[in-house]
Amino acid sequence: MTRSPPPALQLSGVFQHVQGHAALADIDLRVEAGEWLLVAGPNGAGKSLLMRLILGLDVPSAGTIRVLGEDIQRLDWRGVTRLRGRLGAVLQGGSLLKGQSVIENLLLPIRDLPGGRARLAREARLVMALLRLDGLENHQPRSLSLGQRRRVELARALIHKPELLVWDGLTDGLDPASARETLQVLSEQRGSRQLTLIATDNGADALGATCDRVAVLERGRTVFNGGPSDLAQALPERLDLRYLLQGRP
Amino acid sequence: MARPNDIGWRDAPDRPFEGPVGWIEGIGLAALTLLGCLRLYLRILLGRARLDVPAFAAALRQSGLSILPAITLVAAAVGAILGRQTETILGRFDLPGLVLLPVTYGLVMELVPVLVGILVAGRAGVALAARQATLSVTGEVDGLLVSGIHPIQFTVAPVLLAMLLMSFGFVVWVSLVTFAAAFLWLWAQVNIPPAMFLDALAQTLTPSDLLEALGKPLLFAVLIALIATINGTAADRDPQGIGEAATRTMIGAIAAILVADFAVILLARG
Repeated sequence: MTRSPPPALQLSGVFQHVQGHAALADIDLRVEAGEWLLVAGPNGAGKSLLMRLILGLDVPSAGTIRVLGEDIQRLDWRGVTRLRGRLGAVLQGGSLLKGQSVIENLLLPIRDLPGGRARLAREARLVMALLRLDGLENHQPRSLSLGQRRRVELARALIHKPELLVWDGLTDGLDPASARETLQVLSEQRGSRQLTLIATDNGADALGATCDRVAVLERGRTVFNGGPSDLAQALPERLDLRYLLQGRP
Repeated sequence: MARPNDIGWRDAPDRPFEGPVGWIEGIGLAALTLLGCLRLYLRILLGRARLDVPAFAAALRQSGLSILPAITLVAAAVGAILGRQTETILGRFDLPGLVLLPVTYGLVMELVPVLVGILVAGRAGVALAARQATLSVTGEVDGLLVSGIHPIQFTVAPVLLAMLLMSFGFVVWVSLVTFAAAFLWLWAQVNIPPAMFLDALAQTLTPSDLLEALGKPLLFAVLIALIATINGTAADRDPQGIGEAATRTMIGAIAAILVADFAVILLARG
């Protein structure tokens, strides 16, 4: 009998209290390895908070979070660091180091890997070329547009070939063409190796048919969890979902 | 720090190092930071980790070269002041051989190390606290964390190393400049010969005194870096928090330097 591989992500009964109110309430979520999940919902629904919990940047008030088979709350600093070596993250609001050039930012996740700096820089340039960032190596993040900064963050998230990519604010700062192009790059990554993607966005339009599943959050609760076609079928019947995702009744 | 509430759940993290056990948390963080830095230095020495050379060079520039003119001016001014005050005492008691002894001792053992400590705190310590607070405000700290990098070690390790090196260099340089200024003043005004000055140095300072005088600024540098780390980490995530972290660091560092200085004297002299 063969054992099925563990899910890339499993959340069970996750609550997060912020200043006395439940910002996330009873979240159960399971994402299989290689699956693409879009977490959609309006501002304040708890999407970013959920991503921070998955990345171990915050500790949940209750519940368990297993990332790539590991209970993130039971890991010590070394364990979390080892796990983060298997994760990539693009954070909402940006997290590039302002005082460091683009290439220095890209090298952060691999700075302690064996091999000379020249070899690591070559790898960084390959990822930059993939995301059309050539020529920006020595630029400071503050001199880049928002869209370019987002792509640099994505490059940093991909440079160490993560198994799970967490992307908070999928279309933030990206025009529709750039968003499509970036999704194309991610599709290629998925084709060449098993990459699990969890992304957030206000609406469900960005990923469209490319995602495998959509979870819709409202005020910290999951109000929908299913495939994009299920969502398309549900939308005409469910006024609340239409209001949340499309902003019209 | 996460804390259990009345229904057994932990609320989301709030500002660290507050509440009745906040100071214990602060000491714990300082100890972990110091251990982390020492472990990193050891790994660098063993070739298992790399020194962040650009950050180290920037810290050297910031804590050293950029304040060299200011520190030289301060040292020269202090030396001249000391020379002038010694001249006043010599006008009342014409015992230059005796008067120079406490002046020399106080200068080498106390004034110069404390002066260097305060100047390093004002430049490198405050900059370190502001840097760490800024990392939190701008979200850069999250970028470091998701890249598998310990943000405190990333910021503190190169700066602490630079502070240690520059403190050592400064204590030698400031001693030379202060002595030169005081000596030139007294030579010009009351014609005290260089031999008498050197004789006072040889009589008052033993090798262990010199070691203590050179070692104290290193202890101060460690204290300054740890105080800056605690204040930078505890800062509120807004621009005002950056200013508060810098101010608290300066006040805390000066207090710590004086208390540590007194503790060293008690330990060394009983």
